[in-house]
Amino acid sequence: MTPLIELDSVEHAFADGSSGLHSCTLALAQGRRYALLGANGAGKTTLLLHLNGLLRPTAGSLRWHGRPYDYSRHGLTALRSQVGLVFQNPDRQLISALVEEDVAFGPLNLDLDEATVRCRVTAALDAVGLGAFGRRPVHQLSFGQKKRVCIAGVLAMEPQVLLLDEPMAGLDAPMQADLEVLLDRLAARGVTIVLSTHDVDFAYRWSDEIHLMAEGRCIASAPAQELYAQREALRAAGQRLPQALALHAELARHGLLPADAAPRSVEALLAALRAQPVDKHRGEILI
Amino acid sequence: MRIDAAAYKCRWHAVAPGAKALFALSSIAAAWLASSADTLAWLTLLSMSATLAGARVPVQTYLALAVAPLGFLLLSCLTMLVTPSSAGGWQWSPEMLPGVTHIALRSFATLAAVLGLVLTTPMPDLLALMRRLLVPELLLDLMALCYRMLFVLRQAWDESNTAQAARLGHRSLRARWRSTGLLAGQMAIQVWQRASALQMAADARGSQGGLRFLPVLYSNARRQTALSLLASGLMLAFSLRDHL
Repeated sequence: MTPLIELDSVEHAFADGSSGLHSCTLALAQGRRYALLGANGAGKTTLLLHLNGLLRPTAGSLRWHGRPYDYSRHGLTALRSQVGLVFQNPDRQLISALVEEDVAFGPLNLDLDEATVRCRVTAALDAVGLGAFGRRPVHQLSFGQKKRVCIAGVLAMEPQVLLLDEPMAGLDAPMQADLEVLLDRLAARGVTIVLSTHDVDFAYRWSDEIHLMAEGRCIASAPAQELYAQREALRAAGQRLPQALALHAELARHGLLPADAAPRSVEALLAALRAQPVDKHRGEILI
Repeated sequence: MRIDAAAYKCRWHAVAPGAKALFALSSIAAAWLASSADTLAWLTLLSMSATLAGARVPVQTYLALAVAPLGFLLLSCLTMLVTPSSAGGWQWSPEMLPGVTHIALRSFATLAAVLGLVLTTPMPDLLALMRRLLVPELLLDLMALCYRMLFVLRQAWDESNTAQAARLGHRSLRARWRSTGLLAGQMAIQVWQRASALQMAADARGSQGGLRFLPVLYSNARRQTALSLLASGLMLAFSLRDHL
């Protein structure tokens, strides 16, 4: 099956001469969840900007459904209607003063008729749980709500691929949990999701596949379940092992849990541990 | 910011902006038609009552916003009462008082009408109304972006200002001046960066150049416009009474 998006040895040099991406190769399949994992400055945002066609590679190529990216005005409009990007800072994305005006911005740019745009705006706002916020001014919203409006603004374009740049940044724990539920809902609808993060625990828990990045290079790609085998690449990307994975490895080493199928979160690990039969030994503790 | 907050909080914020604009314009027209001081005073009172009692705009907000134009008006009226004397100096001219009073009352009535509109109509609604009135798109796009950026930059300014205060940047007048200068310079860079970021974000959502907006639907617009027409007609008739 042809991947949805392919990057083949993509290089990008910025105007000041610094390198953004260096020989980056990866493939994204339809309906999967991807995490781009790397430290600050690893090239995650640069990669996302390439996927949306906002940046053009200085060498190498990108393919959409097997065809090279078309950087003509018409080609970019077609691409961006299918590959939506949510920026890290909502205040840098929200253009209009009213929530529904901003969400309608993308669909209107697709030359859809008014009734369809209204339907999409309503559906997108409902999807992010802001159905009653349509006529609210953007500047009166909380940071988390603004982020949701940004996602709704892209969802209203009904893209096949949703790119999110550091979606959890700046959100408190309950907001992160809400956003994770929203992302799960979108993934269940068949939307391909690619997000950048430097939270290894979240990436391991949430994604199907993880692409590790360091200094503009895509240094490794692996299904999340196989991350343990990528310890060296994780270290090179400035990351540690996910807590759940490290704990599981230690518990398995002591024979307390089976070595196969590591749980994806600490909560799941605890549940697995509690499910184990417990042998109680009577005796005294020597110190 | 105060105008914006009042416009969103008032009872008439969801009323069709066309109806409110019609009422405000009629109030201004009535103020121009009225020739007696009594009529002008009543018109002012009517506009103020509509804003304060009808739309429930807080009196404090209303007065805070009216104080600047009222001060300007008072100063203008006082200067009109002082005229050059034949001896080459300045003299008090009480004979100008009726004319000045009339101008002041007419200005009050007009000010009350304008305040009534801006304090009850959120800016996006005003922009939508202007769009329906075929104001050039480019001007409206600029206004929409400026309005949005006003809040973004205000927040950026406040945050940077607080950060400066936390590092003793405001400990003396000299330090405060220096910090404000640095902040202004830094804001210029931020404006440029944010403008680039907004352009990039607009491109990412398939922007074709201009901003496009959905027409706003007001469920009771017809009834509200009819009521506004009725009130406007009554006001104009009240002013025309002076000419009979």
